[in-house]
Amino acid sequence: MLEISELRKRFAGGPDAPGDKVALDGVGFTVRPGEMFGFVGANGAGKTTTMRIVMGVLQADSGSVSWQGRPLDYEARRRFGYMPEERGLYQKMRVAEQIEYFGRLHGLSAPAARKATEELMERLGVAERRNDAVQALSLGNQQRVQLAVALVHDPEVLVLDEPFSGLDPIAVDALATTLQERCRGGVPVIFSSHQLDLVERLCDSVGIVSAGRMVASGTVAELRSAEGDTLRVVVRDPAPGWSDGLPGTVTVQGDRHVLRVNGGDDQEILRRAIKAGHVEHFGVEHPTLTEIFKEAVA
Amino acid sequence: MNGAMLVARREIVTQVRTKGFVIGLLVTALLVAAVSFAPKLMGGSDSYTLGTVNSQRLPLEAAAPEAEFEWRSFPDEAAARQAVLDGDVDAVLVDGARVLTRGQLDEQLGVLLQSVNREVRLGAAGVSIPPLQVQPVDPGAQYESARTGIAVVLVLVLFMLLMSQVMMVAMGVVEEKGSRIVEILLATLRPWQLLAGKIIGLGVIGLINLVTILGVGLAAASVSGLAADFPPGLAGLVVAVLVWFVLGYAFFATLSAAFASLVSRQEEVGTVMSPLTMVIMVTYFVAFYATSDPTGTLATVVSYVPPFSSMVMPVRMAATEVPLWQVGASMAAMVLAVLAVLSFGARVYRRAVLRTGARLKLGDVLRAK
Repeated sequence: MLEISELRKRFAGGPDAPGDKVALDGVGFTVRPGEMFGFVGANGAGKTTTMRIVMGVLQADSGSVSWQGRPLDYEARRRFGYMPEERGLYQKMRVAEQIEYFGRLHGLSAPAARKATEELMERLGVAERRNDAVQALSLGNQQRVQLAVALVHDPEVLVLDEPFSGLDPIAVDALATTLQERCRGGVPVIFSSHQLDLVERLCDSVGIVSAGRMVASGTVAELRSAEGDTLRVVVRDPAPGWSDGLPGTVTVQGDRHVLRVNGGDDQEILRRAIKAGHVEHFGVEHPTLTEIFKEAVA
Repeated sequence: MNGAMLVARREIVTQVRTKGFVIGLLVTALLVAAVSFAPKLMGGSDSYTLGTVNSQRLPLEAAAPEAEFEWRSFPDEAAARQAVLDGDVDAVLVDGARVLTRGQLDEQLGVLLQSVNREVRLGAAGVSIPPLQVQPVDPGAQYESARTGIAVVLVLVLFMLLMSQVMMVAMGVVEEKGSRIVEILLATLRPWQLLAGKIIGLGVIGLINLVTILGVGLAAASVSGLAADFPPGLAGLVVAVLVWFVLGYAFFATLSAAFASLVSRQEEVGTVMSPLTMVIMVTYFVAFYATSDPTGTLATVVSYVPPFSSMVMPVRMAATEVPLWQVGASMAAMVLAVLAVLSFGARVYRRAVLRTGARLKLGDVLRAK
């Protein structure tokens, strides 16, 4: 289990931006083996800073990161896979050599690194570009190589900063499938994304960070139940004043009235609606992650 | 250490594979070979065409065995004058008393003609003068010009290699920092491993260049016959030059990596490196000056002062005999300087290399915790 608790980080101001900036103010969450954790938040909320601290690229002012019950150290981190927000590859190095090189840096033997590289290139669809320099590849393919670099040593934990950004829908699916496979193999996966529908589809649990604080975290179902379901009723040509005394809000769209209400006596509402006019829709709606997110960071 | 070796290996493989490296090595080898043959090709250029009108040919060959003389006879002075004006002959001896020339007479030829003429006349009168015996009192003196030549070439080679490798280290550091590869690298490597690997890798490239230059130079010199003029103990000098290159390179490359880690863009490398390139230039100038005065006070004193010693001491060693204890003392001082620079450079690099963005100030980096 990867436990991140109470991370705090403050950046000293420079000549361009005087005064300290608080980047993290007590960020914490846990990710269990085989769990996919979606990390969402507005730009500058602290996602990248958190991930960089987890990977040891940045030092936290306070707080801790532990893996399997022990404080995360350099040796354990070497078995992590990391994809930073700003992609970095040697532009002039060949695809296969690059993946292999990072495999060796992570401690694989030469034959093991070669084997893992072959498999990954096949899996990610860049095998025919093996001898091309990275700079000759399209952005999408470079991203696949970047992912291969993060995966080559069969990492125990995956930390991916915006792995889906800039990918076409087919590449998104390929990447999602790869991550789900790793996850099923017992690897905890953390990734950040602004594509909330994707996070909602893929992730077992979600953490929402805003201005350096965790504002919500838990399974998608937990977040939904915290938010509460919404009853949505659409009535055509209702009698005026039909909703007086009912909870919730009514919006008028042409000759249709839409009532949204959290809680309340749904049977009573239905009776009133039928009496008032023609009921076109009556149903309970789960909040989307986008709605939960907007609510949480508001 | 394994990580550092992997990094070094990548640097070497990457460099060796570039066209620039292969072409550069070939061009250098050709240049060195050309330089080794040049003295032989140009050395034989002292040749004169001389004419006579109603005169005996003077035995100039005996007095100047290294020069070549071609003689022509002219029927009268008018024909001789025309030949001189046309530039067909350098000088014409008329009646054994006058020399016709176009403009000023070549100084060497003039002295030669006068002294040989005098000798011939005196010989005819029965006076024979034994030639002066030249006796060098210092034993190695006959190698002096060869020694100076070697020193001049050496200092140039050291300077160029040092400069190119040091710039390569800087650009490599900025490449990794600017493209953020360093974030992935440092998730699996310690900063010192990355730094050491890069410096070692590019240093090996520099050594490959240096060994090629020395090897081709020595081979070409022995083929061209130039090596006959070389002083004894050349093998020791070659080894010393390699050691000095390694020391000088370690010093400058470490500082180079530290300075380069302050910036994030290749465009800024030149600016941030300028203090260091200045020091390398000054080292080169001092060393070059030392080739003309290898026993002077400046050369002697500076040959103990790191980092200048890395180029000035090899010059002194090439140009004169330097006692072993002096070389040892100078090397010890340089090794200490390299160690100090390593500790300083590794500290700056470690703190600066992940802080991308605007150029960092060295003072801020050192003050930060």
